[in-house]
Amino acid sequence: MLCHEFEDQLTDYLDGALEVQANRQFAEHAMRCPVCHDLLSEVKNTLLACSASEAPIAGTDLEARILLKTMPETALNCSDFETYLTDYLDGFLMAPLYHRWERHAALCAGCSELPGAVVRTIGACYTYKQNELTVPAGLEARILQSTIGNVLPREVRAPLKSRLVEWLRGTLDPIVSPQLASVATMLLVSVFVLTNTVSTDGSVGGIYHASLQLAERTAGSASSSALPNEVKQLANDLMRSEENSGNANDANHNQNTSNQNNAAQGTKNSAPQNKPKGGSSEQKNR
Amino acid sequence: MGAANSLATNEGAELVRRCRTGDGAAWEEIVQTYTRRIYNLAYRFTSRADTAEDLTQEVFIRVYRSLEQYNPKQGDLQNWLMRLARNLVIDDYRKRQRAPQDEAADDLEDHQYHLRAAGGTVQREMERRELGVQVQAGIDKLSPDLRTCVILRDIEELSYQEIVDLLKIPEGTVKSRINRGRIELAKILRRMRIVEA
Repeated sequence: MLCHEFEDQLTDYLDGALEVQANRQFAEHAMRCPVCHDLLSEVKNTLLACSASEAPIAGTDLEARILLKTMPETALNCSDFETYLTDYLDGFLMAPLYHRWERHAALCAGCSELPGAVVRTIGACYTYKQNELTVPAGLEARILQSTIGNVLPREVRAPLKSRLVEWLRGTLDPIVSPQLASVATMLLVSVFVLTNTVSTDGSVGGIYHASLQLAERTAGSASSSALPNEVKQLANDLMRSEENSGNANDANHNQNTSNQNNAAQGTKNSAPQNKPKGGSSEQKNR
Repeated sequence: MGAANSLATNEGAELVRRCRTGDGAAWEEIVQTYTRRIYNLAYRFTSRADTAEDLTQEVFIRVYRSLEQYNPKQGDLQNWLMRLARNLVIDDYRKRQRAPQDEAADDLEDHQYHLRAAGGTVQREMERRELGVQVQAGIDKLSPDLRTCVILRDIEELSYQEIVDLLKIPEGTVKSRINRGRIELAKILRRMRIVEA
């Protein structure tokens, strides 16, 4: 094989397109001829270098430009871009809007600098905050004068009484909690109920006695001679019915009627029989 | 100064308890601890040293009268006090917006900025001071609504919800005002060449 023939077949050889016979001759020539051997090596290396090299990374605006040309309706306008700026910085933008926002930032000459400027402004505000103004001379004294009326507060001592009250308040505060308040209310109510309704012997049946005796006393003090008899009659009737039944119904009824109510009820029941007196005693009882 | 920047919750509660008994020293400690913070808050809204001083004094008078209402269980003293202060300062700002006076933010230059002793050369401190003056000047150029929201968010660092509660406006409005305010401020500072493009 001659050198010019070698050069002619070089591309076919590299593509693996030569016949078996031609391929062997090509290889033999490459082994024999140092010039052609070097040429083959050089071409191989060049091809390798070409395949290894990549195109420079496309600018971020390439995709934006393509989408702007192909789907202009998805592009954000400057006003919307500004509207979503803080959401973008806060990371609140959803993916589709986020990408539209970034595409606008990449393409719009008027807007591309804005996000950076806003971030630097926030930073400037923060720096400003860190450099607080000093308090003007005399301001604290003015404040003290206008509140406690003295620029030497150490001279203002609390009166003993208020200090004591405040100390007690501070000490008792953790104890008197809202949970305990409800317990205290229940205790109060139960004391009130027991001291007013339970009979001297503590039995439920005796409650009638206690109530009726009270009714009798109050009615008696109403200076009516007829009423005590009526009340006694009522008491006897009730006692009899209690003895007969002696059941829970009576007990319920007992609990529902306070001693005051019994007295009033007694007089009310008697009213149809003795109207004028009943009326006056009712008023007095009340 | 001598006073710490803030007090621990129980410390604050104890001071208030002592104030209620009429203890002047306790009240002095509260005043010393929070005057600077409240004065700065007032200054950011008023841009005038004299107005900010008056406003700070008013805030403390109101705080002193409201001490009975402070409940340590509902948060620490600083939060309670700053909430009260913000309400008053913003009320005052709104009132002044309704009846504007011929006040220009002309005393910005006269201000003494606190120079930090630690870390930083004189040159750097000068730059920081200058930056503070210019940021305040930029904020002053914002419309009242935007200005309020930007101060509360980017200087006072309140959350959106705290601003909603304070200004009693919907969250969407708060967000859009913060957004618009930041953009306006960025453009103003860019024009002033504070924030380079």
